[in-house]
Amino acid sequence: MSRYRIPGKGRVDHSAPVSFTFDGKTYGGLRGDTVASALLAHGVHLMGRSFKYHRPRGAVTAGSEEPNALIGTSRGAGQFEPNTRATVQELRAGLVTESQNKWPNLSFDVGAVNDRAYMLFSAGFYYKTFMWPKSFWDKVYEPVIRGAAGLGKSPTEPDPDRYASRYLHTDVLIVGAGPAGIAAALAAAQSGADVTLVDENPEMGGSLLSDPAVQIDGKPAWDWVDAQLARLRAAGVRLMTRTTAIGYYHQNMVGLCQRLTDHLDNPPKGAPRERMWRVRAGQVVLAQGALEKPLVFDGNDRPGVMLAGAAQTYLHKYGVKVGDNPAIVTSHDSAWYAAFDLADNGARVAAIIDTRDVVRPDLLDGARKRGIEALTSHTVTTTRGRLRVKSVRVAPVRGTHVGTGRSIPCDCLLMSGGWTPSLHLFSHTKGSLAWDTTSQTFLPDRKTEECEIAGAGRGLWGYESVLADGAAAGLRALQGLGRAGHDASFTVANDRPGTGVSHTELPTDGNAGKARAFIDFQNDVTAKDIRLAVREGMRSIEHVKRYTTNGMATDQGKMSNINGLMIAADALGKAPPQVGLTTFRPPYTPTSFGAFCGYLRGDTFQLTRKTPIDPWAEANGAVFEPVAQWRRAWYFPKPGEDMHAAVLRECKATRASLGIFDASTLGKIEVAGPDAVEFMNRMYTNPWTKLQPGRCRYGLLLGEDGFIRDDGVIGRLSSDLFHVTTTTGGAARVLTMMEDYLQTEWPELDVWLTSTTEQWATVALNGPNALKMLKPLVEGVDWEDFPHMSCAECTVAGLPARLFRLSFTGEIGFEVNVPARHGLTLWTALMEAGKPYDICPYGTETMHVLRAEKGYIIVGQDTDGTVTPADAGLEWAIGKAKKDFVGKRSLSRPDIVAKGRKQLVGLLTEDGSLLQEGAQIVLDPNQPKPMKMVGHVTSSYQSTMGHPIAMAVIEGGFDKMGETVFVPMPDGVRKARITSTVFYDPSNERLKA
Amino acid sequence: MTNQKHQFDASPVLVEDMAPVLRLSLRVKPAHRASLGQALGLDLPTRVGARVAAGGTEALCLGPDEWLITAPEGTDLTTPARAVYADAPHSLVDISDREVTLRLSGPSVLDLLAACCPRDVAAIPVGSAARTVFDSATVVLWRDGPTDFRMDIWRSFAPHVRALLAQVQEEFVAGL
Repeated sequence: MSRYRIPGKGRVDHSAPVSFTFDGKTYGGLRGDTVASALLAHGVHLMGRSFKYHRPRGAVTAGSEEPNALIGTSRGAGQFEPNTRATVQELRAGLVTESQNKWPNLSFDVGAVNDRAYMLFSAGFYYKTFMWPKSFWDKVYEPVIRGAAGLGKSPTEPDPDRYASRYLHTDVLIVGAGPAGIAAALAAAQSGADVTLVDENPEMGGSLLSDPAVQIDGKPAWDWVDAQLARLRAAGVRLMTRTTAIGYYHQNMVGLCQRLTDHLDNPPKGAPRERMWRVRAGQVVLAQGALEKPLVFDGNDRPGVMLAGAAQTYLHKYGVKVGDNPAIVTSHDSAWYAAFDLADNGARVAAIIDTRDVVRPDLLDGARKRGIEALTSHTVTTTRGRLRVKSVRVAPVRGTHVGTGRSIPCDCLLMSGGWTPSLHLFSHTKGSLAWDTTSQTFLPDRKTEECEIAGAGRGLWGYESVLADGAAAGLRALQGLGRAGHDASFTVANDRPGTGVSHTELPTDGNAGKARAFIDFQNDVTAKDIRLAVREGMRSIEHVKRYTTNGMATDQGKMSNINGLMIAADALGKAPPQVGLTTFRPPYTPTSFGAFCGYLRGDTFQLTRKTPIDPWAEANGAVFEPVAQWRRAWYFPKPGEDMHAAVLRECKATRASLGIFDASTLGKIEVAGPDAVEFMNRMYTNPWTKLQPGRCRYGLLLGEDGFIRDDGVIGRLSSDLFHVTTTTGGAARVLTMMEDYLQTEWPELDVWLTSTTEQWATVALNGPNALKMLKPLVEGVDWEDFPHMSCAECTVAGLPARLFRLSFTGEIGFEVNVPARHGLTLWTALMEAGKPYDICPYGTETMHVLRAEKGYIIVGQDTDGTVTPADAGLEWAIGKAKKDFVGKRSLSRPDIVAKGRKQLVGLLTEDGSLLQEGAQIVLDPNQPKPMKMVGHVTSSYQSTMGHPIAMAVIEGGFDKMGETVFVPMPDGVRKARITSTVFYDPSNERLKA
Repeated sequence: MTNQKHQFDASPVLVEDMAPVLRLSLRVKPAHRASLGQALGLDLPTRVGARVAAGGTEALCLGPDEWLITAPEGTDLTTPARAVYADAPHSLVDISDREVTLRLSGPSVLDLLAACCPRDVAAIPVGSAARTVFDSATVVLWRDGPTDFRMDIWRSFAPHVRALLAQVQEEFVAGL
């Protein structure tokens, strides 16, 4: 039995021992323990070292706001997590934990030398110390600071755990299942509303679990909680434990992080570790309660000094006495009850020190009855003890005069500076806060979302008022949904009402300049740091925060913000609301990256689209490249071939005989209706009226600005039906743009657009033998009337098809479209039929080379959104006689018709070397830097002609034909000659069968 | 301690491939809705998400001028539609191969869908349908029964959707 565990007490399972290790030592705990409660049961308070001064620290809370007791936890390879709060991590069999920020060990730490030198490490230390000399910053200061920065070890291995996601729509979401939350849920669950109640703890009940003597409606608190949870369950309320509301976003969207397996000895296979819920709630009730404030005095961070409420929780929930001989220092009534409960469970309470002059008589009576010394109008000036508090020095206060102190021995010191309503989520909504002078705290004021705030979260105290408030909030939420419900009231016996006062630093008779009175435990910020910041000119609380780092640790100042504000306000001589509060931001508590990623990792990291022919490419050794969301076969290397060799072989085979290419990713849009031709005339630069059914045309699409947006070959299948193709990446964009014009500009047109990209699998055949090979497979085409740029509906290899005769290679070419389910069948049939012609499958790289040899542009590669048809040499594609088309007006803008625009030209290097795509071009390589850049290389390939080719945009390029330009590259300046973009078969002889 | 509305049994959810059907996208202006409906033998619904069925043909309203028509493969709907084209201009495009259809059913199917669909799937009335997203894929979700759905997915997006569904199914098997 652990020394400080009270047999049979608490909500832990005394019949279920669980062992774990902490810093290599094995400890026994109980099922239901946290790491902190189990260590405290063994009398272990020292759980970590602070960040800056490496001061020994123990758990100061019993919840998720814990700043000190941060540990590393591990389950196995890749499952190490730093900075886990020991007060939250539940025990599981075999749990391995370790303390942080210590070397060589927790009780003897070399880094604690910082603590001795604390006078050096004042607020703004970094700003002041590392200013000079400037040259030291990169080489000395930053590496040193970075080396010392960060708390805990970052995991280095990939996380093998899974993380899940879920959306939830619910009528009422209640955050916090303490008395207010439960009462709100009971009220909201009345008339069949869908209600969700979440709590970050393993068990619901909130503060009632730490106050078992309270009786509600005649039932002891715990029985009442059990009964109400059963009622809620029966009413269909969704109850979610270990679920933290991490953020409150627009339109009642609340993010929840649910921890599923961290508490399990052996998680089931395939179980996610955490699940992120994105909840859209009709109404939200925030019943998050309040967080206890520490008091600020010298030595308030010593292990053994903790919040009184935390001690009460350890006692009642875990059956753990945090000490045999506690002293209590408080400015709030609540700590008196903690003292009474500890005394009633066998602790010898050394004294209750209350800063107030007047304390409720019943509390004084309670102390007297238990033989506890009660010291009102007293302060605590310091504590003693190296790794654990041994004594506390107390002194009477009269007005501002601190009298002679004395030392009281104790083995723990329980403090309470009052309670701060937990308004983090409310603040995420940009709801405003109002300073309440009576309770000396901020309370929720103007709301921006459909939410209610209930209970201690809006400053109420005492169970009867909190329960009534919760019920009222639940009812208001219900009414907000347009539903009706009844009022509820609760009678509470043994209630524990309370009030308190708020302090800055406690008055002291010691040297205030040397006091180590901590506000932010995790970032080691003291009261004098705040005062120093104000003295050094910080006026805004935001500046004080950044200068001192107060509230910037992983606990986001849950315990420190209000104390920091009170002291800053005091130093500035202003009221706290005039100084203001820093902004709370999500997440409420540290949240794993895994929970945010959810399913979006590994194979499902991002959607990858594959064509129907992709399996063939994969089986035949294709190397793939991503194009928009698609993966496309890039090239098909044979054994021993590198990319260059494979691409050259594919190019030559296609030019020599026959190549086959999967073009299924091309965007396809069916433009249908009586006004189809009118629509096409308005959208594309080209004239369409005279295009006969059964013929195709290259179409050029501009934006309103006159710049090229997309292109593609378009077939007219009948008078009112066009088969439009777009670039692979442009498919969705083009359809959206067209639909936008149709709906907003030309709703009168009888024409409709349907995406058919995925309806069709498309196979391109190119090469001098393409026609010969294809002919026998086709039925329904009149070959006498099927020249280059024709299209027909027919069958190919017995499959229903749309056949296009066109070329993106300069060779005789076809594109065969068949319904997608037949794509692979078609491909296989063509491969078989192409054998006599040594048919060669090729990928996107070969497609790029072959089109570049012909000077065919790729929108998005040779154009960049600033290229007009004239710039690209495509003026021939403009229907000059057309009254209008999208972008027409812009083509006559002065800057568009001006001389010296960048124009698309060909480039051939003098030394036959390959240029880099993206390389800049200059006219004089000897000019001083920065040089005048006149353009850049857009495409560059090894070609089938024995020398590399390139395309480039160059200012006034069309007038510079034959001239020499220079391309500075990493390994030297290249000389290149400006040429036409058509490198291969300029007279198009090869297209004619 | 936790009581989520999950029902875990041996097969909380089934994911099955469905056989191909004839699938057509019909676009027609509201003024000609009735004549197209007559030609196809259906009263085309006007509320987005509403469905009607007659014979083997079913129509789902996806927008003010957009309907998704399904019918057994081989059904000829183009000819009767073409007959009214002159008076009721429209577009009727075969998209049978654009999408594949999964049937998702079983007691946990709502949770399965809620894993990646931000829409309130439970609020889709039985007998209606909705165009929505599943993760980053656009899908049409047909609710055929309280725990019985069809999901039309663009063909190339299907492997991604299937992979996600498989991950969620493993959660059900794990019981968490």
